[in-house]
Amino acid sequence: MPQVKPQWRSLAELAQDAQFLSRAEQEFPGLGVALTAPRDRREALTLMTAALALAGAGLGGCNGAPEGHLIPAVQQPPGVVPGVPDYYSSAHIDGGYAEGTVIKHFMGRPIKVEGNPFHPASLGATSPMAQAELLNFYDPRRSWGVTRAKLPRSRPALEQALADQRARLASTRGAGFVILTGASTSPTLAAQLEALRKSYPLIRWLHWEPIERENVKNAFALAYGARLAFLPLIQNADVILAIDSDLLSAAPGHLSFARDFAARRNPTRAKMNRLYAIEATPSLTGAAADERFIAGPRETHKILLALASALLGAPPAEGPPWLDRIVADLKANRGRCFIHLGPDHSPEAHALVLAMNEALGGRGAVYALVDEPTHFSSDDALSLATLVADMRAGRVNSLLIIDSNPVYAAPGALDFAEALSQVEFSLCLSATPSETSEASLWAVPMIHLWEGWSDARAFDGTASVMQPQALPLYQGVGPHDLLGLLLGPDAPKARDLVRQTWKDQLGAADAWTDALAVGVIPGAASSISNRPLSGAAARVRLPEPPKARIVLLFRPDPYLHDGRYADNPWLQELPRPLTRMSWGNPLQISPRRARELSLEHGDVVRIAIDGAHTTTPIIVAPGQSDDCIVALLGFGRRHAGPVGRNVGVDFFKLAGRSCAAPDIQKTGAKEELASAQHHAAIFDEWGVYARNGTLAQFHSDPDFVRRGDEPRPALYDWKPEGPAAWGMSIDLNACIGCGACVVACQAENNIPVVGKAEVLREREMQWLRIDRYYDGPPETPKTSFQPVLCMHCEEAPCEPVCPVGATMHDSEGLNVMVYNRCVGTRFCSNNCPYKVRRFNYFDFSGEERRAIESRNPEVTVRARGVMEKCTFCLQRIAAARIIADRDGEKAATVTTACEAACPTRAFTFGDLAAKGSEVAARRAGPLSYALLANQNTKPRVTYEARILNVDETKETGK
Amino acid sequence: MRSVFEPAMNFWASLTLLMLTLAAVGISFLAWLWPHGDYARRMNWAPAQPVPFSHQHHVSGLGIDCRYCHASVEVSSNAGMPPTFTCMTCHSQIWTNAALLEPVRDSMKDDRPLAWRRVADVPDYVYFNHSIHIAKGVGCSSCHGDVASMALTYKAKSLTMQFCLDCHRDPGPRLRPKDRIYDTRWTRDATTPAPELLLAAYGVPQRNLTDCSICHR
Repeated sequence: MPQVKPQWRSLAELAQDAQFLSRAEQEFPGLGVALTAPRDRREALTLMTAALALAGAGLGGCNGAPEGHLIPAVQQPPGVVPGVPDYYSSAHIDGGYAEGTVIKHFMGRPIKVEGNPFHPASLGATSPMAQAELLNFYDPRRSWGVTRAKLPRSRPALEQALADQRARLASTRGAGFVILTGASTSPTLAAQLEALRKSYPLIRWLHWEPIERENVKNAFALAYGARLAFLPLIQNADVILAIDSDLLSAAPGHLSFARDFAARRNPTRAKMNRLYAIEATPSLTGAAADERFIAGPRETHKILLALASALLGAPPAEGPPWLDRIVADLKANRGRCFIHLGPDHSPEAHALVLAMNEALGGRGAVYALVDEPTHFSSDDALSLATLVADMRAGRVNSLLIIDSNPVYAAPGALDFAEALSQVEFSLCLSATPSETSEASLWAVPMIHLWEGWSDARAFDGTASVMQPQALPLYQGVGPHDLLGLLLGPDAPKARDLVRQTWKDQLGAADAWTDALAVGVIPGAASSISNRPLSGAAARVRLPEPPKARIVLLFRPDPYLHDGRYADNPWLQELPRPLTRMSWGNPLQISPRRARELSLEHGDVVRIAIDGAHTTTPIIVAPGQSDDCIVALLGFGRRHAGPVGRNVGVDFFKLAGRSCAAPDIQKTGAKEELASAQHHAAIFDEWGVYARNGTLAQFHSDPDFVRRGDEPRPALYDWKPEGPAAWGMSIDLNACIGCGACVVACQAENNIPVVGKAEVLREREMQWLRIDRYYDGPPETPKTSFQPVLCMHCEEAPCEPVCPVGATMHDSEGLNVMVYNRCVGTRFCSNNCPYKVRRFNYFDFSGEERRAIESRNPEVTVRARGVMEKCTFCLQRIAAARIIADRDGEKAATVTTACEAACPTRAFTFGDLAAKGSEVAARRAGPLSYALLANQNTKPRVTYEARILNVDETKETGK
Repeated sequence: MRSVFEPAMNFWASLTLLMLTLAAVGISFLAWLWPHGDYARRMNWAPAQPVPFSHQHHVSGLGIDCRYCHASVEVSSNAGMPPTFTCMTCHSQIWTNAALLEPVRDSMKDDRPLAWRRVADVPDYVYFNHSIHIAKGVGCSSCHGDVASMALTYKAKSLTMQFCLDCHRDPGPRLRPKDRIYDTRWTRDATTPAPELLLAAYGVPQRNLTDCSICHR
């Protein structure tokens, strides 16, 4: 597929940097340095001894069968069959909103998270964080034991302290008592808080999230005078305008939005929608857009005014030239389009956009308004800032912090820690030791979500009951139990509270068990609101844009969020979609600003704003606005487990200050960044890997993406003859690069994490990676994602070079890896054009601080010195074919871990030989192509090229 | 000057060298032979168990079916070991005071599981599934031997990869009719259907059973 310009992975590659080229050429970069480093006699002797000891250990392995024990239960738990997995519904909570999950258990141990197909926020998919919840559950550094002033206390002592608080509450009627929790949609929690207010009328509570969506929520009060939420119906939308939007990556319900969006992205299957994105910093929504425009905060302000003038008849305002085209497209698609604004914009801007959406006539067709499912703070005037002021003024005697970490995540300008020290009684309920539990008087271990009963609502109000998946591992206290203890000494159990909440819907015993089995409470979704727009919404005045030329923007890290997942090694090591960074959060600077400040990738700068400062490395972010510098929050935790402590930089301490321009000074120091952007780089003669084109190109020549990929004869034409021919098709139109598949693969296949030092040596172990490519100039590139896994080539180059036959083909077309044969020559990896093989340089699995119980017992844990790679989830294939053979079914249906987790259904796995198989149909489609087709490897994984719905007839003035 | 070594020493030196060479070869040979031996494979040897359970008495004597205790053998990879409750279904009524059964009663009383020593095992990188073998006409005794006549349970087959492959390469002769699966004394006789018929009836030949991916993941 000849295309004029090759794609590029990093600015170094674009500039054809000599250092980059020499590194990319090497199969094992870093190895040369290790081999040529001088080694003294003593070290040589040590190595020889180690080798001898290893040989001895190897011989020891020949000593007959391993000895072991069989330990049956005393009484078999009902329904548990040893060796057969069980599934129980649960939910992952993100900013208070539920995302339905199903937890896979093996003999009572949770081992994997799957999406819940019946839950509207999941539809069977998961986010990376939901997948990684498994490690949080088994985290050996979870809090255990109650402490007061950092000294151990007994449980009765805690109960006594709470009894004292009850007495105080009764005498003061709740004055000076504040409960601080994260955002919550739990009706049971809400009922408990209301019950507390009934007993103690002056008690207050604050639902606070460090990454808040308060602006979005408050806009509805301005525009509709009610607490509503915006529910896009993306499947009906022909045109979407996303402004600084997190529609596909973080907005509540983003998994289902991504599903609906992707359902109309492949022109061979559906009529394409069109997404315009206007944003200051690259995001998943921008990368998914057909056309992406860059606008800094001040320009976005102008754009909103221009849109208001065009759509609402507001006073004329001038926007950028390309905006007219978008406005014309929106107007042409009246009733089939909507505008989505990101959560960082002011409530006024949101109210204006709500009015524009009403004017565009899409209400009921492309979006609906429903009741906001989150519970509100006790009074509207209460915010974190007013709370801190009250704490300082001594108006707060008791502060109960439930599952929140304000000492770390409150804006630095508030200095929450100092205010907390003024509070007489502070209690922090947290699942892991945190900055806040460290600073509170009482620190109480909280149960993990999987260890207790609760409930939560999804973005559309759908409610779920969450059941315990296991007994508490560390004797924690649940939030419901703690609040119960404030009401009386004999607090009802959380389960009874939840049953009480839902007694109307789930009164019958069957209804209760059915709701638990399905994971959704029937008929509990919010009803659609008919409330009319208030006339004032169209006339709100936008707050003035920042005056400074360059603004510091804070964004949550896509995986660590507000730092709550900082202790999760899977999420730390998961490359960020766009920067491909792991284990760090360098400051993102646009290419032009970096040039102006003569900064390069990895230069350490001192950034100061309003008296606060920190030092941080920088990364040059192609496609970022020159008017902003972006800091990712969630890193630099001071009191966390060994995984998250002091990784990256804490930018919360710069937050909450004025909008003055940040002062950036180069320090001269340099830091190596663990960015995987040119790790496992692949090359071919055209330099285009994630193929793409426009809809017009596709219409004029449907086969245009694979012109030039003529089939070539093979030296040895081998045909697998098994009853199935496993294959996969990956739709690049659907992939939004979210990374859920990578974590799902890691969880399913017992893939170890390696840590920052090894990532720098390009030794990360993830079997599946998502390559990110840029087309075009660094200032305004077009971004493409491409998941790459073992291609299971029919003519696999890895196989003939293995001297010990450790990588073989099976009769169903799988390229299998026999770990016990592997002697670690790494010839296979050297010969793999796709760079998908991973080598265990060290005993990564053995060194992982991870409970053995959390591993998938169906997959071998690989030892040191062994090559490994994607197996197409062989364990799932084997389980399916055994069940099919055993029970006499015709064909086994297999879903790989990546396919199951994918929110957009980009992956389709199946039997190419089966009649009517979807994967075979996709493979035969006109957009289907093989990666590095010129290698003639006949891969079993093929891609569907990405088509952009660009309006080429009008594409001018961009 | 008289030499230190007499000429005869040449002979002894050569002999020593020869013996050393032979010893080296011999030790290597023995080291190679060792894992192939029954001793190293712990075959035909009954490890001490918390209770000296006799399959002979319970199966041959009392006629209890294999599946009474190994309950998940038809549905799971794992045949299943009986929970203490299963033992106590009978032993709460009979032999209630037998000293031999003290550990079983203790297990029940203390809610502490019995830890049986493994007799048959395959390495962790082998994913053996009982249910598919049972469903396809492979009997218990094909891998476990004549358990029904074992007073103390011992490993009767080597369970090496060679052992598995012998059958996976040519399963037909080892298959048996469905009603003889749990009969550990069964042997092929004139009334047994031909291997080809059994293979076809069970639908075995559709897969390449010697693929690495059949057993290893």
